[in-house]
Amino acid sequence: MKRSVSRRLKANTATILTWVLALLYAFPILYMLITGFKPEEMVAPPRLMFTPTLDNYDAVISEDLMLHSFSSVFITIATVVLTTLLAVPAAYSLVYGNLKKAEGIYYWFITTTLLPAVAVVIPIYLAYNFIGLLDSKIGLILLYTGAGVPLMIWMVKTFFTDVPYEIIEAADIDGCTRFTSFFRIILPLIKGGVFSTALLVFITTWNEFFFAVNMTYSKSATLPVYLNRFLTQQGYFWAKMSAASTLVVVAPVILGFFTQKTLVKGLTLGAVKG
Amino acid sequence: MLSNRTIDKPRKNLTNYLILPSVIFVAAITQIPFLLTLILSFVRWNVKRPDLPIEFAGLDNYVFIFTDSKFYRVLFNSLLQAGIALALCTILGFLLALVFNRAFRGIFIARSLIIIPYFIMESVTGIIWKTLILSPSFGINQVMASFLGMEPVAFFSSKLSLVTVMILIVWQWTPFLFMILLAGLQNLSDDVLESARIDGAHGLKMILYIKVPMIKHYFEVGMMFGLINILKVFGLVFVTTQGGPGVSSANLPYYVYRTAFYDWQMGRSAAIAVVTVAITLIVLQSFFNLIRRKNFIARKQRRAA
Repeated sequence: MKRSVSRRLKANTATILTWVLALLYAFPILYMLITGFKPEEMVAPPRLMFTPTLDNYDAVISEDLMLHSFSSVFITIATVVLTTLLAVPAAYSLVYGNLKKAEGIYYWFITTTLLPAVAVVIPIYLAYNFIGLLDSKIGLILLYTGAGVPLMIWMVKTFFTDVPYEIIEAADIDGCTRFTSFFRIILPLIKGGVFSTALLVFITTWNEFFFAVNMTYSKSATLPVYLNRFLTQQGYFWAKMSAASTLVVVAPVILGFFTQKTLVKGLTLGAVKG
Repeated sequence: MLSNRTIDKPRKNLTNYLILPSVIFVAAITQIPFLLTLILSFVRWNVKRPDLPIEFAGLDNYVFIFTDSKFYRVLFNSLLQAGIALALCTILGFLLALVFNRAFRGIFIARSLIIIPYFIMESVTGIIWKTLILSPSFGINQVMASFLGMEPVAFFSSKLSLVTVMILIVWQWTPFLFMILLAGLQNLSDDVLESARIDGAHGLKMILYIKVPMIKHYFEVGMMFGLINILKVFGLVFVTTQGGPGVSSANLPYYVYRTAFYDWQMGRSAAIAVVTVAITLIVLQSFFNLIRRKNFIARKQRRAA
């Protein structure tokens, strides 16, 4: 009796400690969230007690923020769609085609993700400058799709390989064409994986900073660039800055919850089988 | 298992052509520009001085950077930053994974709190840490200092700026290793752990001799991706320290950026970019060798075939 009580006490202490750790780790985010609701004069120096207000959100939801939100949304969605349209057929071809060098091509795609962005930025900047793609949405969409396709092929190929071949064979025997067997048989089986990978591309594109800051300056600037400018121009209004930051990270954080499992699976499948 | 995939395939398989658009696209965005970078690195070109000719410079750009003390400082920063940050991310990520590998109500939310920083954009991470947390005037830094009766720490001085950037990298990338290593721990079979326990493995012994070796592959995958991404870090530096004071907290990607878009020296910047790629490949290759799996992706492939 006494023993079980002490064991439960131990378990409860561990649970509490786990929560404390979690809250401590996320503290900067939580503090940002709270600061966004503080009146500006309560932020610096920080006060513990305050009446929450929506004034900061009112102030930062401006025409400017809307403009850059539109850029971000447009560029991100276009990138995700284009990436999916290119990468899913490519991964399909790697798994179900009979390319002699399928393995080599797959490996090549993966190595392109190792290339740091700085290795390509200068010629692309000069080329964009020349053909007038600087500060354009299309310019960024092309770059992000180039980065997204290898990532998506990598992940989606894993999911294709997971589909038992017997199912496809059975469909073949039943007279399914490649086309119908893809849409009727394979796609329903892997759509969860494709969807999560698309979310992952969404998050990385939404958060991308390097190309955004180098290739855009005004009308096509995405939210990360806008926020950085906010810091340099209005760096003393921390409450407003926190409100703006909170608005911008809501989408990737929520989507992140849904995609973390697939992310881990896609990355570690080789390790699990190893 | 998959070898029977070729049985009913016609010679000319239209499926094969589905790969073409992706190959062309990715080559156009990554390979061709990199070749151009390589060519540019042998050219002298100041974009903001159109009166100066664009001319072939031979190895001048490379000679310049390899005799430039700033470059060595930046190189040192990059390697130190990557090494220490990766080590800390792995250790912290593993410890957190051990703690969070249990079941209680709300564990999913608690885990998510740890994972969130990974999905936060670099510019936001930089902004909130620079102002709300580390600012010596009104940040948590100042609150703690006055509580302890000390001077606030000067996180953005030339002495500490590199460490500050490292702290931010660790905060942002520990969740990634946490996710991967937690998946590894969750995949451990209870039978094995139980028999280890019967054999007398407990506590630290259990962790070091049973758990760590059994999720070795997860460590490898996680650390490899962590390393690739930590070597690429740019936004955190850009938003918080601008590489400064001086070049005290600049890493290679930031230095390429600064040479190209502050000094407008395209050729010189291209040369630094080429050196960056070379160093990245050397570091990754050494790391591969270190974990003695030279080609885990190809092996994964072979296993599947």
